[in-house]
Amino acid sequence: MLVFANPAFLWALTAAAIPLMLHMFQRRRTVVTPFPTLRFLKAAQKRSSSRVRFENFLLWLLRTLLLLTLGFAFALPVLRTTTTGGSWLSRTRRDVAIVLDASYSMNYELDRGKVFEICKDAAVGVIEGLFSGDRVCVYVAADTPVPIIEKPTTEHATVIQAIRALTCQPGTSKLDETVAIALRALEQQDGRREREVYILTDGQALPWQGFRDAAKNEAQTDDSKVKISREQRDKVSFFALLGGAQQPDNAYPADVKVSPSLMLLGQTARLNVRVGAIGTAKQITVAVDVGGQERGRRSVSADAGTETSVEFAIGGLEPGIHIAKITTPQDALPEDDDFQFLLRVRKQLPVLIAGPQEATRYLKAALAPGATDDSVRQIDVAELESIDLRDYQAVFLCDVFPVSGQAVMRVEEYAKNGGVVIVFPGDRADVAAYADMKILPAQPKGTEEIPVELAARPLKRIPNQKDQVVNFNLSLPPGSVPTVALKRIMTFNALQENSAVLITAGDDVPFMIGRAVGRGRVFMFGTGANRDWSSFPLTAFFLPVVHQLIRQGAGASVQPPHLALGATVPVNDAVPNYRDDDAIAMPSGAQLLIKDNGNREFFIENLTEPGIYTRTKAGAGQPEPVLAVNTDRFESRLTPATAEELTEWTGFKKFLTAKDPEELTRLIDEYRNGRSLAEVFLWIALFLALLEWWFANRALRTQTGATEKMTVDLAGKVVTS
Amino acid sequence: MSDEGIGAFLNPAQMSKLNRLVLNSRYVVEGTLAGRHRSAQKGASTEFADHRSYMPGDDLKRIDWKVLGRTDKYYIRRYQDETNLRVYLLVDRSGSMNYTSGDHKTKFNYACTLAAAIGYVVLKARDAVGMYIYGEKMDAALPCKNSFNELNNSLKILQGYKPAKGTAGADVMHQIAETINRRAMVVIISDLLDDQPEIIKAIAHFRKNLHDVIVFHTLDPVELNLDLRRGAEFEDLETGERMIADPRAMAKEYKDLMGAFIEDYRKACSEMKVDYRLVKTDEPVDTFVRAYLEERKRLSR
Repeated sequence: MLVFANPAFLWALTAAAIPLMLHMFQRRRTVVTPFPTLRFLKAAQKRSSSRVRFENFLLWLLRTLLLLTLGFAFALPVLRTTTTGGSWLSRTRRDVAIVLDASYSMNYELDRGKVFEICKDAAVGVIEGLFSGDRVCVYVAADTPVPIIEKPTTEHATVIQAIRALTCQPGTSKLDETVAIALRALEQQDGRREREVYILTDGQALPWQGFRDAAKNEAQTDDSKVKISREQRDKVSFFALLGGAQQPDNAYPADVKVSPSLMLLGQTARLNVRVGAIGTAKQITVAVDVGGQERGRRSVSADAGTETSVEFAIGGLEPGIHIAKITTPQDALPEDDDFQFLLRVRKQLPVLIAGPQEATRYLKAALAPGATDDSVRQIDVAELESIDLRDYQAVFLCDVFPVSGQAVMRVEEYAKNGGVVIVFPGDRADVAAYADMKILPAQPKGTEEIPVELAARPLKRIPNQKDQVVNFNLSLPPGSVPTVALKRIMTFNALQENSAVLITAGDDVPFMIGRAVGRGRVFMFGTGANRDWSSFPLTAFFLPVVHQLIRQGAGASVQPPHLALGATVPVNDAVPNYRDDDAIAMPSGAQLLIKDNGNREFFIENLTEPGIYTRTKAGAGQPEPVLAVNTDRFESRLTPATAEELTEWTGFKKFLTAKDPEELTRLIDEYRNGRSLAEVFLWIALFLALLEWWFANRALRTQTGATEKMTVDLAGKVVTS
Repeated sequence: MSDEGIGAFLNPAQMSKLNRLVLNSRYVVEGTLAGRHRSAQKGASTEFADHRSYMPGDDLKRIDWKVLGRTDKYYIRRYQDETNLRVYLLVDRSGSMNYTSGDHKTKFNYACTLAAAIGYVVLKARDAVGMYIYGEKMDAALPCKNSFNELNNSLKILQGYKPAKGTAGADVMHQIAETINRRAMVVIISDLLDDQPEIIKAIAHFRKNLHDVIVFHTLDPVELNLDLRRGAEFEDLETGERMIADPRAMAKEYKDLMGAFIEDYRKACSEMKVDYRLVKTDEPVDTFVRAYLEERKRLSR
């Protein structure tokens, strides 16, 4: 729509009549000049009259156009693209939402400063460009939308102050959700205003991924809070500042895998580090730091847009929890140059054996042949109620039933939290007493006496089945067939959920069954741990089987060396042997919020800070590191999105994108006030003036007549060329 | 410098420049005195011309005895007669000659100066010079004399004339052509702005009478290129007719017309073996005369 900012000057268009008026009313006040060759003049005039008339017409046309153009230029024509911008008589009040991307990639350092600071300045610029009655709200797009100024307000100074105080968040951002919430905030206001949403981001594709996915699954999205309606896409004006680097350059450690997952004293930790790089191909020096000491440094060639693996071997680690770090050289985005993780080294696997002396004798002798070995402790059944099971990697229950409810509950909690419980039946109780413990792989049905002639049974390992949760692996020398002599064996009812028969005595009698409970494992044998039931404690296979159970169970419950920011995990998946009186502190010192789902199943709802989390056990003074949290490195890839892609993904009808704040300011100005065409008209006027000047003087410059082609020498001789 | 006569047109320095120059005729001429120019008559010079049969009454001294010895016939040896040159200057004082476009002389004044210079050169070579002044009619016919006093008088008379209103160049030239009865040199100094075919016929008339004709076509530079910046109401110097015109708009057509006009004269003169020269009035007369005469001398060798 073409409007005029200074329509009064349209009167100047009447000046276009001046050339015609001058021509018509010109008083020919000419000087009389005597001339000898009037006859040639007359003939020349006759010859040139048609040409001169045409040239005069063109000159008149040029001069008229020139004056018209000047008239238009002074009337300040403006080309408005908005349809809701009100008429040219009044200004429309606006409701503006500013969505500021606060993902860590916004800390990318450009020549003119960090992208986040540039975007903050741009946001302030947007607000300063508003009129006093315009309202503005501000939302920060982080892992979850954060309202800074939730409801649109006219207090611009307050909003600017709030924006100035913003800092970048460590995680990623979801622009679609934030924009949706910002639009809802705008919609709650009266509808007579023009609505504008400013999305200030670095131009990465990742924060826009939600728009892209929503476009694909538009019909399936039910959550109205995060859904942007078609009407909003069509009616609201969207501006995006894509202020990041056009060709970013970054190198970062993306992930580290530690093996073995259960590391004992004397073992060497093998680290598989993935290093990513974007931009130009480069050599990256990757360093490993353990406990503040550099333990390795490697240089790798990384091609742009790829991730490269590099291996480190770390040996000589003392028992304990070591804070380790992978570092790459500092670059424009220092936030992703470190990757922290924990190395847990255990001196041994402590084992608790509960049960009467006669039932545990062989087990204790097998696990702790030396009297000084303090890794194996034997307790009486009654002590199960009071002892802290978290201190042990495995708990053997030998002929302990019946047990008190308190002990059952503690054992069950221990197993669910990652402990290994190995149950040997005994003679003290009938099978009904086992029913109290719900975590057993199967409830016992009864005991069966084995005739002597059928006593010898080969032990057969049942191969792991597909989708089997609990497994058992034991390497035996080739050709060896373990055999036991059974006196009596416990029979079982149907297997519980996540249970499996792992070893049979003979072809089909379950000898050892196992079950995955929470993060822990429960194994149950069909025979007791003494020779009253079988010769199993006396065989050469007893010790390897028991050791394997302890290790395997311990390995299954090992916590990962690092977690991703924003993860929601059961606390026992992240923190070994968590108890609800433990205090876990985030890197900032604040307490980590751990929720109970009501069933004494604790979980961490959101890991909001990257870094090392520490736990202080009740009664213990010194905190210990328990968690290493890193931002996931999707943002580090810094994949830029083009304006065309964003337009396609978002489906915004009125969507203007700018590469820098200056361009954004210009777009806003053009959008709100229209694009001034005065300059264009002035350029046209200048062009017409030059054309007129050239045309008017063309005859003098270019038209060479016959006499000019003649050469007259000094002696008067005429030579015609 | 004297205000009258030749002194009104040429200063001593200019005359000094012209001293050693000679205006030679390209054709035989008929003079009254002995001179350096070839005469149509056979006479007593040393340059052999031809033989003719002896006739009673001929001087016996002229019999070629060697021819008599070889042929047994009487032949008379004839020698080329050499006579002086008679130069007639035709000065146009028509209305159109009263034009100048700038600080330089009007065409008429320039023509007068040119006539003085040519006359001076001719007299210095001991030849005779006469003058015809014409405008709408024959204004003055001054006889051909071999005297500086006569030239001075002629120039004084010329000085007394102003440009006329109209022109009758062709008629007057025919009249002059009839008047000059012996072969002579005719120098026409005019802008030739008259009926062009008639003028050409008049020049042809001179040639028919075996005169050696030189045409000094005298024009102002503006007449040639119409180099005027402003539109004006132009008034014809001869007819008084007026017209409003923008010279810039019609410059090309004008120059084409003027070029064709000059070219027609040049071609016609070339065909008639008339020496046609275009003289621009912004050029110093002595420079032009010197250049012209030197070229003429070079070409006559």
